[in-house]
Amino acid sequence: MSTNLPSEFAPLEPLVEAWALPTQNARQAQRRSSSTETLQKFYDAVVPLLPKILAHVDQFPLGELPPESLRLSYISLALAEVAPHIELYRGDPNVPHSFDEERFIAVHGEQTG
Amino acid sequence: MNSVSNHRWAEKYPHLGQGPIAAAPFVSEDHYRREIARVFKTSWLYVAREEEIAEPGSYKVKRLAFADSSVITMRGKDGVVRGFYNVCSHRGNSVVTETGEETFGHSKAAVLSCRFHGWVYGADGALRQVPEEERFYACFDRRENGLTRVATEVWAGFVFVNLAPEPEQNLHDYLGDYGVHMGAYPYGDLTHSYKYHTTLDCNWKIAHDAFAEAYHVSTIHAGSFPDVFSTGLSDVQLFGPHRTCGVCLNMNMAPKPVAAIAQKHARGSLVAKGEGAMLPPSINPSGRADFAFEMSVAFPNLLLHISEGIWFTHQFWPLAHDKTLWEGKYYVRAPTTNSERWALEHAQLLQRNAWLEDTQTMENTHRAIASGAKRFINLQDEEILIRHAHHVIAQMMGAAAE
Repeated sequence: MSTNLPSEFAPLEPLVEAWALPTQNARQAQRRSSSTETLQKFYDAVVPLLPKILAHVDQFPLGELPPESLRLSYISLALAEVAPHIELYRGDPNVPHSFDEERFIAVHGEQTG
Repeated sequence: MNSVSNHRWAEKYPHLGQGPIAAAPFVSEDHYRREIARVFKTSWLYVAREEEIAEPGSYKVKRLAFADSSVITMRGKDGVVRGFYNVCSHRGNSVVTETGEETFGHSKAAVLSCRFHGWVYGADGALRQVPEEERFYACFDRRENGLTRVATEVWAGFVFVNLAPEPEQNLHDYLGDYGVHMGAYPYGDLTHSYKYHTTLDCNWKIAHDAFAEAYHVSTIHAGSFPDVFSTGLSDVQLFGPHRTCGVCLNMNMAPKPVAAIAQKHARGSLVAKGEGAMLPPSINPSGRADFAFEMSVAFPNLLLHISEGIWFTHQFWPLAHDKTLWEGKYYVRAPTTNSERWALEHAQLLQRNAWLEDTQTMENTHRAIASGAKRFINLQDEEILIRHAHHVIAQMMGAAAE
């Protein structure tokens, strides 16, 4: 699989394989199986570029991203999944004091996007 | 604020009393059986949104396990939504093959045909066609073998059914002033949804009660909604068996970096101040500046929350005295740009995490109460909605016993 991103985001290409995941379920599973250190590294790499990423994806109509930009968009969605764990849960890969995430079914969990 | 009584809701609604609440109804199998008969089989129950069956010929099947039933709600070519038991008149097979708790489908011709032997029903429930009809006997009358009707009515785009053969009230009268209070919100404009469900090993009332107060915000949501200080309820109003209040929160903390960017791009989070004029004038009549959202309960099992740009429901479907299907459905305006889409993902995931925090207590509570160690539970004044819920149920059960 290609790991290309739009050229100005090339520094994020090492993150594509692990984090450019098309579904909420996949991004959630990736977050849960990552270490605190991995989550922190991902967060630190993506957050500074987030405003640029959002400006980039807005050059295209909703849901009509070319492959490179779509991969970039998936990385930003993975950040939405990861950010609370860094910003609020002290790096815990799970939601602290929570119900079993495995048993909590997202109806939209397998939808792409 | 010294003038506000610590017992203001008990003073407003003295008939609810102030005493402890019996614990047995949470765990008693006998109580559960009577509750199903007296409450769930006689009340109007929300089963579908109109948008889910928007087109003529569209249908949704909802399982109602407490009644060993599934109900089809279907829109006819005349635009009317009708409800039927999902049972074929031939030999009792499911007319629509269900794929889970909720099954969706569409028929261009607005008919339903049973896969077993091909019996065809119209959206009005009439039995239209029976293959080899001539081999049935003279006593068989197609006109008397339509689908079994379930009372079905719509309020504000919410499709309700009532399993009583002759409901005591129509839906409009059943909802009464609650329907007026909550009805003017633009639910149908905010249709972009995120839906979750799980089966909890607890009584449905334990799940209901855990969501029906804001006392828990500073403890249970210390993770996902930190420094969101609950300042109590506002404008508690009881409407017959239904209830509502404003939930007021002080959001003391500046949002973290990613949360701040998300809040700039879309209105999707309850713990961010919402600007706009979406809420009907009936909401937040005291005009409190710390008002965050309206939390209401359409009896028995629909929690309906509305806020600027967001609405969501919780439903608690009894499966057994110690088993409940919980459904959480979160609705926002559909995004128009890719960045809005991203911001909604962030807001919605934080809400999911808060729901994961909410659901964490429920099975523990059930297990603990089932021990029999406590005969009562205690409620403070800001837990008035829970007190009202138990009062209404006890009243219905008592009235039924007379």
